[in-house]
Amino acid sequence: MPVNLGETPILRKPVAPPPPMLPPRDLVFEVEQFLYREARLLDDERYQEWLGLMTEDVHYWMPGIQSRHRRDKKPRLDPRRMAFFDDDLLNMRRRVTRFLDPTAWAEDPPTRSCHIISNIEVELTDAPGQCRVYSAFVNCRGRGEAEEYWLSGRRNDVLRRVEDGGLRLASREIVITQTVLLAKNLNVFL
Amino acid sequence: MTTDVIQPGPDELRALVDLERGAIDRRVYWDEAVYRLELERIFARCWLFVAHESQVAEPGDFLTTYMGEDGVIVARDGNGAINVFLNSCTHRGNRISLAEVGNRRRFTCNYHGWTFGLDGALVALPQEDVYRQTCPGFDPGDLGLHRARVVSYKGLVFATFDEEAPGLEDYLGDYRWYLDVLLDNDEDGTEFLEGSIKSRMACNWKFPAENFAGDSYHAAWTHNSGAMAMLGMGVGKSNQENSYQINVNGHGWQFGLDMVGNAMVLGEQDIVDYLREREEKVAARLGKLRSRMVGSISSANLFPHMSFLPGQSTFRTWHPKGPKGIELHTWVLVNKSAPESLKSLYMKGVMRTFSPSGTLEMDDGDNWENSTQTNDGVVTRRQKLHYALGLDSGIQHPELKGAVHLRKYNDSNQRAFYRQWLKLMCDERAHASRS
Ligand code: FES
Ligand SMILES: [Fe+2]
Repeated sequence: MPVNLGETPILRKPVAPPPPMLPPRDLVFEVEQFLYREARLLDDERYQEWLGLMTEDVHYWMPGIQSRHRRDKKPRLDPRRMAFFDDDLLNMRRRVTRFLDPTAWAEDPPTRSCHIISNIEVELTDAPGQCRVYSAFVNCRGRGEAEEYWLSGRRNDVLRRVEDGGLRLASREIVITQTVLLAKNLNVFL
Repeated sequence: MTTDVIQPGPDELRALVDLERGAIDRRVYWDEAVYRLELERIFARCWLFVAHESQVAEPGDFLTTYMGEDGVIVARDGNGAINVFLNSCTHRGNRISLAEVGNRRRFTCNYHGWTFGLDGALVALPQEDVYRQTCPGFDPGDLGLHRARVVSYKGLVFATFDEEAPGLEDYLGDYRWYLDVLLDNDEDGTEFLEGSIKSRMACNWKFPAENFAGDSYHAAWTHNSGAMAMLGMGVGKSNQENSYQINVNGHGWQFGLDMVGNAMVLGEQDIVDYLREREEKVAARLGKLRSRMVGSISSANLFPHMSFLPGQSTFRTWHPKGPKGIELHTWVLVNKSAPESLKSLYMKGVMRTFSPSGTLEMDDGDNWENSTQTNDGVVTRRQKLHYALGLDSGIQHPELKGAVHLRKYNDSNQRAFYRQWLKLMCDERAHASRS
């Protein structure tokens, strides 16, 4: 009798995802440039210009991730739970106020930050002038003499075209790979 | 770095903490031997806060946390009792629960499949008959996960591994009168909102603990930028004559009677309105004086390592991770009966002030890390630190309980913290915990 060497029901068959609706090349280029410029504004601490890239109704959310078992009925992230960021524009402005205040002692000497943005995918949506943008990031912060903090994760953005013809960030969801933040603070936007 | 891990004796320990003059030896913040003794004599003996009952509301609900550096599981069983036991298998020591939170009927170890109940008892193991046949005297009843004693106070669950420790009531003493400001200002009691933010800091656990116990003095300076962000103005000079530090058994609370000063920093008018509307009701329940403490400019630490900001409604524990490290767990406490919309404002308010991204916490962490890092230079370590503010500020107060000191710009609560620390560190009982 031949032994079974792999054709068990557990070895699932490959399923090709449907081919993506490719967005216009120009839009992809524009989105990429938007995200790279945004990252550079953050690295250069040009926070007021960075705020200028937001829509008035922006929602900026970075949930805390819970380490739960797969079969747990509750999700690993949930909008009703405590988050790292869950901000509207007013509260983003409050954070920027602190960053730019001369008495923000932990920012002086400044933190040195580098955002690397990658894996950009653009999806057209039903809402006119809006697109969904997926990206991945690596952020490295250097502080003082030898402090160094690495964060990486994925972002799920909605970009919207506004009256002046430019793009703005309307919402961002940031999911990092840490459940316990391996740093004393998050003095950085991602 | 020291390589000396010889256990310091009582005389050596007493020389570290000069409470008459208010001088503390920097060794308490970096020394490995001191730290190991803290794990034995403080964290393995004190009643430690492990959870709020609302976090394990249903049978099968569990979470994992730490008592000192010992990992534990906090679980509610089918009878509604809350159990706390070591998160380490009695077979080879493997970690039992890898999840931080969830709901299960039992815990099965990944290594060989030993299975434990919600009370920690060993309830099943693969090939049990082999054990019965070949293992003389085998009794699963002896092989449950090591349990801690567990007692709640108005929703807060405490546990200790010390069989001989006096009860939680004695441990808290008159501090309960103050805890009631938060835990009992409403007849329906309190809950923790869902989710906990966790983070690591490279600081000794005592820096944040003593800071919350009584360092009102740092607020105006350290947190000026955070106050600018949240209120559009600095912290400002506070009225020292109408403010107090109180301490009981090493637990500290510093406060003013401004009712809403800290709540305002959350940046939500609705929260301030909620507190003002409730003032009369709270006064009827707790008396006029305590009704003024609910959202006031204040901070507190329940010895050893559970801190809270009454006004901001944030609770946190500073779990030790070596002499120069902690893991910080943060929660938001609210009255159960508060409207859902208000609960969500509290959650966001805490996030934007006292969480890792918070406009106030960021500057704290930097200070505690740097204080920790500098203290063990070979010359630096010979210089004592100054803890002498308010040496003669003790007063009698007609209403306030515990040891009362006038003025919250004061080191009295920090000295009280180290008095309790010293007392416990010098307790040479061999091994309090049942093996
Ligand atoms: S170590 Fe847990 S079953 Fe063996
Ligand atoms: Fe602080």
